[in-house]
Amino acid sequence: MKLSGYRKKSPWILHYNAGSCNGCDIEILACLCPKYDVERFGLINTGNPKQSDILLITGPVTKRSRERLVEIYAQMPEPKVVIACGSCASTGGVFRPMYNIEGGVDQVIPVDVYVPGCACRPEQIIDGVVTALGILEQKTKEIEKSHILHVAPLEEDGQVNRRHMAGTIKK
Amino acid sequence: MNSIIICTIIVILAPFIGGLVYGIERKVKARMQHRVGPPILQPFYDFMKLVDKRAMIVHSAHAFLGIMHFIALWFAVAVLIFGGDFILVIYLHLMATALLIIAGYSTRSVFSHLGSNRLAISALAYEPVLILIAISVYLTTGSFEISSIFSMSTPLIAKMPLAFVALLLILPIKLKKSPFDVAEAHQEITGGAEIEYSGIFFEFLYTAKWLDYVFCYVLVYLFAANNVWLGLGLVAATFLYINALDNSTARVDYKQMLKFSMYVALPIAFINLLLTILK
Repeated sequence: MKLSGYRKKSPWILHYNAGSCNGCDIEILACLCPKYDVERFGLINTGNPKQSDILLITGPVTKRSRERLVEIYAQMPEPKVVIACGSCASTGGVFRPMYNIEGGVDQVIPVDVYVPGCACRPEQIIDGVVTALGILEQKTKEIEKSHILHVAPLEEDGQVNRRHMAGTIKK
Repeated sequence: MNSIIICTIIVILAPFIGGLVYGIERKVKARMQHRVGPPILQPFYDFMKLVDKRAMIVHSAHAFLGIMHFIALWFAVAVLIFGGDFILVIYLHLMATALLIIAGYSTRSVFSHLGSNRLAISALAYEPVLILIAISVYLTTGSFEISSIFSMSTPLIAKMPLAFVALLLILPIKLKKSPFDVAEAHQEITGGAEIEYSGIFFEFLYTAKWLDYVFCYVLVYLFAANNVWLGLGLVAATFLYINALDNSTARVDYKQMLKFSMYVALPIAFINLLLTILK
């Protein structure tokens, strides 16, 4: 029996705000409201990385949110897809030259779908999710195994420095 | 002999029936909010998808407790449908909840601990009312056996309507529905005790939720056990009542829930018990 077809029918979403101005977040919430009603495709906003398939990220990655983003990404079981929602998440947007910004989401974790716009419209988000579902169906569990660190993890006060680890994945 | 075969079939199909109930519920809830809503088979699509996800476990005991929660709940449903002891049914259901509470405490996640705390408090809120209802049933029928309810001449709801009211008040707590969904509270603690489960191990908790629907609606059906159409009508009315309540109320905190249960639901069940004794 082919099970990968069912991924398309029940995508569960995790929404992460990596430092957004809240514009894109509100558009994502608008998708869940009665007008656009994405639940008719079986979509649930779970808020739990361990049970979700799609990671929706809004906003540019700030220095503080980077390690959380990597951790959330690592906690999601494969197969999973990442959608960068909005101009800031795609490239860094207007915040790109700022001192506390790392850039777009793809500087930190691999991104499958980019949804441009400031703020991205609900129709665009739904379109992006549908594109992501096509990618999700193609993915196998082996494609995205855990990343191998190229540098030995740095230890500080007896703990692994997650920030340093995020930097080593980037290379 | 015939009824045993029917009971066996219902018990084996209980998760599927529960899944259908959950699917219909999501559809009904969506229609109440003027949405289209997911297809009725949506829970089964979720089921098939979760099989395919990579299994990640925190530690083996945690995963094992989740599986045992499902099995204990299935046993509770089986004893209930086969017409066994009412006290045993309540005990098995409590044991299933206790297994989930222990599973929640066994991880290091704070949300999991919070969920377990709240699960324990909601068990404290509904369990005494259920016991009082069981005792009232015993005083009315003369036996703790559930099959004795089926052999009565008048339906149970005519003899003890207050017990049914008390059951209606605690059902949202049992089913983790708003306003008493503190144990799950998706916006607050993202699922509570089930937060650390993923992939095929979350499947057991997801299916256990369906079994909980079967358990609760069979309890409702018992109040009109000897009249099939009255029973089904009661179940349908309760289903609509729970979904309307879920859609129209906001979550209360656990103290308010406990107070509501202790000061409203429990006295109603107790008055019902007194009236049954006086009859």
